[in-house]
Amino acid sequence: MNATHDTPLPRSIPEYLERLRESLAGADPALVQDALYDAEEYLRAEMAENPGKSEAEVIASVAGSYGAPDEVADIYRDTEVKVQTALRPPAPKPRKSPWGQFFGVIAEPRTYASLFYMLLSLATGIFYFTWVVTGASLSAGLAVLIIGIPFVILFLGSVRILSLVEGRLVEVMLGERMPRRPLYASRGKPWLERIKEMFTDPRTWGTLLYMLLMMPLGIVYFTIAVTGLTLSLSLIAAPVALMLSGTVLVDGVDLASSSQPWTWPLAIGAGVALLFLTLHIARWVGTLHGMLAKHLLVKSAQYS
Amino acid sequence: MTDLELHLRKFQKELSAGTVSLALLAVLGAASEPMYGYQIAKRLEREGEGVLSGKQSALYPVLRNLGAAGLLDSHVEPSVSGPPRRYYRITDAGRDVLREWAAAWRATRDSVDSVLEGPSA
Repeated sequence: MNATHDTPLPRSIPEYLERLRESLAGADPALVQDALYDAEEYLRAEMAENPGKSEAEVIASVAGSYGAPDEVADIYRDTEVKVQTALRPPAPKPRKSPWGQFFGVIAEPRTYASLFYMLLSLATGIFYFTWVVTGASLSAGLAVLIIGIPFVILFLGSVRILSLVEGRLVEVMLGERMPRRPLYASRGKPWLERIKEMFTDPRTWGTLLYMLLMMPLGIVYFTIAVTGLTLSLSLIAAPVALMLSGTVLVDGVDLASSSQPWTWPLAIGAGVALLFLTLHIARWVGTLHGMLAKHLLVKSAQYS
Repeated sequence: MTDLELHLRKFQKELSAGTVSLALLAVLGAASEPMYGYQIAKRLEREGEGVLSGKQSALYPVLRNLGAAGLLDSHVEPSVSGPPRRYYRITDAGRDVLREWAAAWRATRDSVDSVLEGPSA
């Protein structure tokens, strides 16, 4: 498949594993880890079976049975594609009718993930906001002291780690593909250079802005989700409770005496409509927030 | 590599994609104690090259997928030489699946055989 065909066979187990890692470049890290683990297990077992042979000899013979590193990499990639296709839940059928489009939202797992993200965002929003505000003001305050500079660097580093964490949340709950590992663009450079890059990287400042924004956004998301859910569910539940028990007190007002029975079906209808509207809003918020997160947390050049 | 060999290799690869799972389940179903990847590979090698078409590495991802699907149980044990080994054992669900698969395999084999032999039989 690539240049490894021309290069000589690896002569030691670490060399073989390193070659395999190179051949799997770009694959899912979990897959790489699995492949390396399996290969190491097999190679070491083969070594133990043939105590007389040298490591290079064993590996040369293994290349025929287990496979050369690039062949193994291909096998893992192929199997991963097959298995992922087989295990992925079937995509929801695209619904044609307007009714289907409106009510179909209840059957989509993504809806509930978005809803949960909206509820969670109050907590994460407050945390991010506190972290950034505390860190930034302490950085500014300590800037006149000698410990100010390392503090700023530590603070920015922590913000970049938090941005990865938030990326995982966004990917799992909102379905937007986010980076899984930090960029190692600066690996191997002198550390002064790396610190400078942290300051000039627009992603650092985008992340700070995102974390400040998360507080108001989190409050809005949480309010929408809680209000929509409780209002619609109580509209649906109140008439049912009235029918069953005959009297329902809300803040000391008896609903049975203050409402006509003919309004009860209307209340249920309004509740159901509001419930589905809330679910749709959750979907929209999920999509929009995923786009916002991607713009502020991920350098666009990373994908090109 | 000649054209003929390439075709054969491709056919073997496609064939093994489905049959490796069956062969693995069968080996583990017949085994009296848990086996680890290398043992299974060697066991299949003894039976001939057919199933794996010579690539033992192909069975490791399949082992893990069968484990993830609940057809195999696995546990890790430290080994005297090298990294810890993952041992696999067939589950009850795995045995049921193996029975179904074996029946499907025999039906496929018979119908393919009869097609290969032609309508004379």
